[in-house]
Amino acid sequence: MGKILKKEMRLSASVLSYLFILFGFMFFLPGYPILCGPFFVTLGIFQSFQNARETGDIVFSALLPIAKKDVVKGKFAFVCFIEGCAFCLMAVVTLLRMTVFSNATVYRANALMTANPFALGMALLIFGLFNLIFVGGFFKTAYKFAKPFVIHIVVTFLVIIAVETSHHLPGLSALNAFGFDHMGLQLALLFAGAAAYILLTVIAVKKACRSFEKIDL
Amino acid sequence: MSIAKVRNLRKEYESFLLDDVSFSLEAGRIAGFIGRNGAGKTTTIKSMLNLVHPDGGEIQYFGRPLSGNEAEIKQQIGYSTGTVSWYPRKKIREIVSVTKEFYDTWDDAAYRRYLDLFRLEENKTPRELSEGMKVKFNLLLALSHRAKILILDEPTSGLDPFSRDELLEVFEGLKKEGVAVFFSTHIISDIEKCADDIIYISGGKIRAAMPKERFREAFSLPGETLEETFLRLEREEAHG
Repeated sequence: MGKILKKEMRLSASVLSYLFILFGFMFFLPGYPILCGPFFVTLGIFQSFQNARETGDIVFSALLPIAKKDVVKGKFAFVCFIEGCAFCLMAVVTLLRMTVFSNATVYRANALMTANPFALGMALLIFGLFNLIFVGGFFKTAYKFAKPFVIHIVVTFLVIIAVETSHHLPGLSALNAFGFDHMGLQLALLFAGAAAYILLTVIAVKKACRSFEKIDL
Repeated sequence: MSIAKVRNLRKEYESFLLDDVSFSLEAGRIAGFIGRNGAGKTTTIKSMLNLVHPDGGEIQYFGRPLSGNEAEIKQQIGYSTGTVSWYPRKKIREIVSVTKEFYDTWDDAAYRRYLDLFRLEENKTPRELSEGMKVKFNLLLALSHRAKILILDEPTSGLDPFSRDELLEVFEGLKKEGVAVFFSTHIISDIEKCADDIIYISGGKIRAAMPKERFREAFSLPGETLEETFLRLEREEAHG
């Protein structure tokens, strides 16, 4: 898996995939829907798929001495690597907002969602949905990516709208906890997001391996 | 010794049927795979590399089915496809340095030798190469890991006559080392010059798979060249 990941990073990846990790810093922004950050990270990953298609990467990889399913796993390894880097960046920013900036007026007066473990869990949910909808969808043809990406955009923005408005609903204000308030609930929601990410990604990998095995290149 | 066997290969498309394709490739022999455009050469080759999913039949290498042994088998296959350019904006050096890590038997000395023979520059990118040089770059990757079988899709098309001649000499050298060479072409003089066996495909069916001399005895009329034989056979096929 190390060799195929290295191939993804050196030959197939678009530099934008790496640069767009920096959208994790959007977790610093007050008055802005911070979950757009993970969406932009997925937009960067999308650029690598575009690059892969245009450079013949999928066929080149399928000709290497690896099983066909390892081509799929290599792509997922790269996607998870980028998502992991972005998540680490968002986690650092969230920790800063929970500690150093926990009482900053600009964040306290923010009508939109604050950066907390719940937000991190939802970022993982968005990544998981991207893996299932876009990456899994791409491997149905290993060529067409517009339709799965449009579906991903629609689903992600529905999730962002739902999550951003959720803490304004009666009884759900704890979702928007500042500092270390409601830590039990917050961590539970983070772990729920992580579990969703793992589950969606595992389903996506299995589905993509099955589809890729059947298609003609 | 049989290196590869294709048995009853079948692939159905809306407007084309590759039907009951069978042949075998032997160590130390060069097999020319000939047929007109659209006859089924590339579909057969892609099936042999698991790029196309056949509807039926079996492909074996070294006595083992390709299905289920893909990674190990591909270690011993060298493949090249015409003028396709992989990663057009990456330097040859970088593409090679990533690719070689996948092969247990990568041979740097052979790589250097073919790099010199083909006059390729490592600092160039595929998009900077002419069509003929792209073919050579693909061949370079196929030849540098001591493959026991070379599967080459139209390796001589786009090459100038001197390069074609050099390449056919490379095939002869590999043959002496026991490598099985299987190349598709529609340049009959290449087959005339170096093929030991002829596999002739027409309309998705194998019409002949036999040693070149037997092919001549079976199909050529007195005084007819191989090219004239193929043209006549194709005309007869077209007129039913």
